[in-house]
Amino acid sequence: MNPPVPLGILEDKEEEHLATQVLGPSINSDNPQERIQARRLRIAARLEARRREALGEYLDGKKESEEDQSKSYKQKEESRLKLAKLLLYGTELVTNIQVATDIREIHRRVEEEELKRQRLEKLENEVKTSQDKFDDITAKWEEGIHKKIPQELWELLNSQQVHCAGLIEDKNKLISELQQARGPGHSVPARWGRLGAYNWELKIKDDQYVKDLKKQSEDICVLLERMEEQVKTVMRTFRQELNHIEKAFEVERQELLSSNKKKWERALQAHNAKELEYLMNRLKKVEDYEKQLSKQRIWDFEEYNMIKIKLEQDVQILEQQLQQMKATYQLNQEKLEYNFQVLKKRDEESTMIKSQQKRKMNRLHDVLNNMRSKYAKQIKQFQEENQSLTSDYKRLVIQFKELQKAMRHFVLIDEEKFRDFWVMNEEEAKGLISRAFDVDRIIHTQHLGLPWTAPDFWFLKNVGPLFQQQQKSATQILEEVLMQTEEEGSEADQELESYLDLPKQVSASTTRKILMLLCDESGFLIESKLLSLLQPLEKSECYLLRLDAIFSALGVESEDDLYKLVNFFLKYRAQHLSSQEGEMMPALEPVPKGEEEEEKKEKEEEEEEEDGESLEEEEAESLVEEEEASTSPRLIHPNDVLKILEAFVKGLKKPRDARAPVKLQKAARDNSKDSDYWKALATVIPRSRQNLWDGLYAALEKYHLVLMRRAELLLECNTLEQQNTELQQLLQKYLGSKINSELQVPPTQVLPISTKSN
Amino acid sequence: MFTKSFSATWKPRGPNRGSNVRLMRRIIAEDAEWSLAIVPLLTDLCIRHIVKNFRNNPILTQLLPEHQQKVLRQLPPDLPLAVTANLIDDENYWHRCCEQRWPVCHLDCHGGSWKRLFFERHLENLIKHFIPGSTDPAVILDLLPLCRNYVRRIRVDQFLPPVQLRPPPHNGDQSDSGSEGETEEPSMDHYQLGELVAGLSQLEELDLVYGIKDCGMNFEWNLFLFTYRDCQSLAATIKACHTLKVFRLTRSKVDDNKARILIRSLLDHPALEKLDLSHNCIGDRGARAAAKLLSHSRLRVLNLANNQVRAPGAQSLAHALAHNTNLLSLNLRLNCIEDEGGQALAHALQTNKCLTTLHLGGNELSEPTATLLSQVLSVNTTLTKINLSCNHIGPDGGKQLLEGMSDNKTLLEFDLRLSDVAQESEYLIGQALCANREEARQRALNPSHFSAPLTAKGPENPVG
Repeated sequence: MNPPVPLGILEDKEEEHLATQVLGPSINSDNPQERIQARRLRIAARLEARRREALGEYLDGKKESEEDQSKSYKQKEESRLKLAKLLLYGTELVTNIQVATDIREIHRRVEEEELKRQRLEKLENEVKTSQDKFDDITAKWEEGIHKKIPQELWELLNSQQVHCAGLIEDKNKLISELQQARGPGHSVPARWGRLGAYNWELKIKDDQYVKDLKKQSEDICVLLERMEEQVKTVMRTFRQELNHIEKAFEVERQELLSSNKKKWERALQAHNAKELEYLMNRLKKVEDYEKQLSKQRIWDFEEYNMIKIKLEQDVQILEQQLQQMKATYQLNQEKLEYNFQVLKKRDEESTMIKSQQKRKMNRLHDVLNNMRSKYAKQIKQFQEENQSLTSDYKRLVIQFKELQKAMRHFVLIDEEKFRDFWVMNEEEAKGLISRAFDVDRIIHTQHLGLPWTAPDFWFLKNVGPLFQQQQKSATQILEEVLMQTEEEGSEADQELESYLDLPKQVSASTTRKILMLLCDESGFLIESKLLSLLQPLEKSECYLLRLDAIFSALGVESEDDLYKLVNFFLKYRAQHLSSQEGEMMPALEPVPKGEEEEEKKEKEEEEEEEDGESLEEEEAESLVEEEEASTSPRLIHPNDVLKILEAFVKGLKKPRDARAPVKLQKAARDNSKDSDYWKALATVIPRSRQNLWDGLYAALEKYHLVLMRRAELLLECNTLEQQNTELQQLLQKYLGSKINSELQVPPTQVLPISTKSN
Repeated sequence: MFTKSFSATWKPRGPNRGSNVRLMRRIIAEDAEWSLAIVPLLTDLCIRHIVKNFRNNPILTQLLPEHQQKVLRQLPPDLPLAVTANLIDDENYWHRCCEQRWPVCHLDCHGGSWKRLFFERHLENLIKHFIPGSTDPAVILDLLPLCRNYVRRIRVDQFLPPVQLRPPPHNGDQSDSGSEGETEEPSMDHYQLGELVAGLSQLEELDLVYGIKDCGMNFEWNLFLFTYRDCQSLAATIKACHTLKVFRLTRSKVDDNKARILIRSLLDHPALEKLDLSHNCIGDRGARAAAKLLSHSRLRVLNLANNQVRAPGAQSLAHALAHNTNLLSLNLRLNCIEDEGGQALAHALQTNKCLTTLHLGGNELSEPTATLLSQVLSVNTTLTKINLSCNHIGPDGGKQLLEGMSDNKTLLEFDLRLSDVAQESEYLIGQALCANREEARQRALNPSHFSAPLTAKGPENPVG
């Protein structure tokens, strides 16, 4: 069924094509073969097209350099495509056989299926008909049971027998039919019988099987052939392509070699030419140098002669000099010998002195050692002393501080006492003065009948001792603030607050914190020398001195300046904080300096007394504020301090000179005006008025005397009246007594008038 | 020779130095042809001795590497395996052994190891010639401890049946396939692989054909019997072998029931990747079992070529394939799935994202399947090879496939031979494939895929 297909080699496909055409149609299936042919033609066409394409591409030649490079690459690509095609279509060719076998198998199966189906159909039909017949026969058996007459029964049996024979005949017919259908024209050997029929069919199948086997072996042969052929062609083409590639590479390599050789030769030629040039140059140079050498030689020779003569002359001179030198040498030798002797003697002496000196030195060393030990002892002593003294000093300082504290306390108390005394005296004086004024007023209004006006003096309104408001210097404030920090634990704040009058809005601790911050941050303002000096001091002192230095650098001198600085800080913080805290801080007013300051001072003096009472209330307020503002210094970032300071220094433009002399000594109370005050109080009634009063006094004395006499007279009169009344009473008593009745003539009738008057 | 030279050198000097032995010796030493190399080294002697007595006293591992090499070079290839098997790893020695026994050796089929080749072929040989009942099973089992570490594949294409009495085949000549099935089954069992496979710890591939080769005119149907007991024992064997990756049972008349037994034992197998049951008589039920296996294993290659799978079987396979993510290759060549099955498979391929190779050659497919496949072609991006040869696709179906191909960029091979497709469309499809291949080559920058089709088709060629 499979024709001996010429095995596909791509190179001789045309021959192959011819061969297939010559061999003509295949036994089994034309279609696949035609397909194969068509495919092959297609392969050829495609290959050719590709080749043409490649050639065209090659001819086009985009760039020469690229072409050079890609010659081998192109060859490779071409070969690759070619080989891929070869492999693909070779494989297809080989597998074609498998596919053809497959389709044959399918055809066979389909045929088989069809035959099977037909046979089954036939058998089923036969089964149906025979079943009908069989049914008839069995039905008749039923009839036969009822028949009693033997003849009838016999007839029935005969007919049944005929029917059965017909049935069997049908079956046999079918069998033979089946045999006929299988092999028409073939006579079945009679002796095989029924089983033989199947065997006969089997025989046909066997034949077919053998045929199939043969076909398949042929197929396998073809397959093997094709495979071998394929392998061969593949190998051949691979080799060819390899050769092509190798050739391409070789050509490329040759070209490369030749080009490189050319390059090399060119380079070599250039090199040779250069070499020649160098050689010529060298020869020329050699000649030049030779000439120069000969010249040099002649010149050198002449020179040599000259020098020789000169040197000989020199030798002569030197010999002469040598002689002279020898003579001097002799002389010198003698001198030196003498000197040597002298020196020897001196040496001896010096050794003597040396030994003496040595002894002396030893002694002095001893002394020195003694001194040293003494010195050490003394140092120790002094150190001890120093220690004791420092401890003493410290103790004293502490004592002094305590004393100061006490003193401050006492000062305060004294002031209070003084003030109390003052007030008491003043009240007394004022009482007196008011009495005097009252008297004066009475005198004027009642005695003299003149209108009286109350005299108006400033000292009348004054209450308490006279105060000169003092400007404390910045350092004092500092000291106080820092002192306060030290004593904060032990003493009550209120007491401190009382002599530390800070502005309302700033509390002491806030100030202190700000100052500490300032001290920590602006160390650059302090001189380095001072810093080194500050090292051994205590913390608070250190702070104090540092702040002092910083303030002197900043120009902060007075208390106001300090508070201004503190306020400035707080204001800055307020600006940075939210607006709610801003209300707490009153805006810092730029206070005008100089003349206004003086006036303000006086006003303050006057208002001092009133302020004193309200001070305690304010303290309470400030305490509240302090609690609120206590967080403030923490909120000022250390980095901002310098900015604030800069702003402050810019803002603080004031005349330095005006402030300079106003440095006041502390606590010296000015009592110069006190005497004036008191004197003024004493002389509240002027002298003229006193004289008036004196005159008035004399007149009134007289008036008094008259009045006195009159009073005596009045008294006398009164006593006389009294006597009179007493006498009257006595009279009445006498009149009323029983004696009268006994009497014949009662006195009553004698004295009617007197009774009537009672 | 020695005496000659001695006399030649001796004579001219003779008169002067006559009887001095030392001189004589010197003269011997001066013999031009004498050299120290003639004396064999002691090591050489020892090595020779070791080689001579290797059978009784194998000394190898204690030697220096260079001496080991020498010994191995000189060892005869017919030493008993009990001595050499676990002692010698040298490839050259086993190379010699192999060459001595077999004229043709395919080293590539055995993982490039001569030792493995030797043991595998030796074992296969023993199994091939094992006659149940008459051969002592110890022949094979004795070899087991020697070869257990080297054998990875057993490829047996013949199992001899037990020896039968002469008369019955002569008598039962006419009564063919019908009679032999049940009556003689107990005596027709072949060698049971169970024990052997259980002992081989490295076994990866099992390639079996239950049949006889070169029986010639002694042909009997019952020589080619794969009995139920064989089947059950084989099923138990492969179930127990957890290292098995490839299992092939071809040309063994495996019917539906046996296939089901085998496949049931393979369900959820931990390693199996390749199952080949081609050239059997598996019908739809077997195909259904295979479909179940697809969803219960990590099978990558399934080959059911030349069986009796029809449309229902193909439909169940398609159902399993629709959501499978392991299977790479499915071969249903020479079955009869017809359009119904083909359409089901095509539907499945629309959702499948894994299958790369599909062989539907000789399946009575026609235009409707082609229509659906063309839709698949435009959607699917994993398929690289489709074989539709020997079907009745017809010119219209070819055109539709061509349309489908125009949208596809991944298909590399599309076999439409002998399927009534118009030449023009076949040519155009071929061109599209060429373009795809070129693209794939450009993508991978590796022209190896041109050889890939060869290897893919390789195993199928001898079968056809």
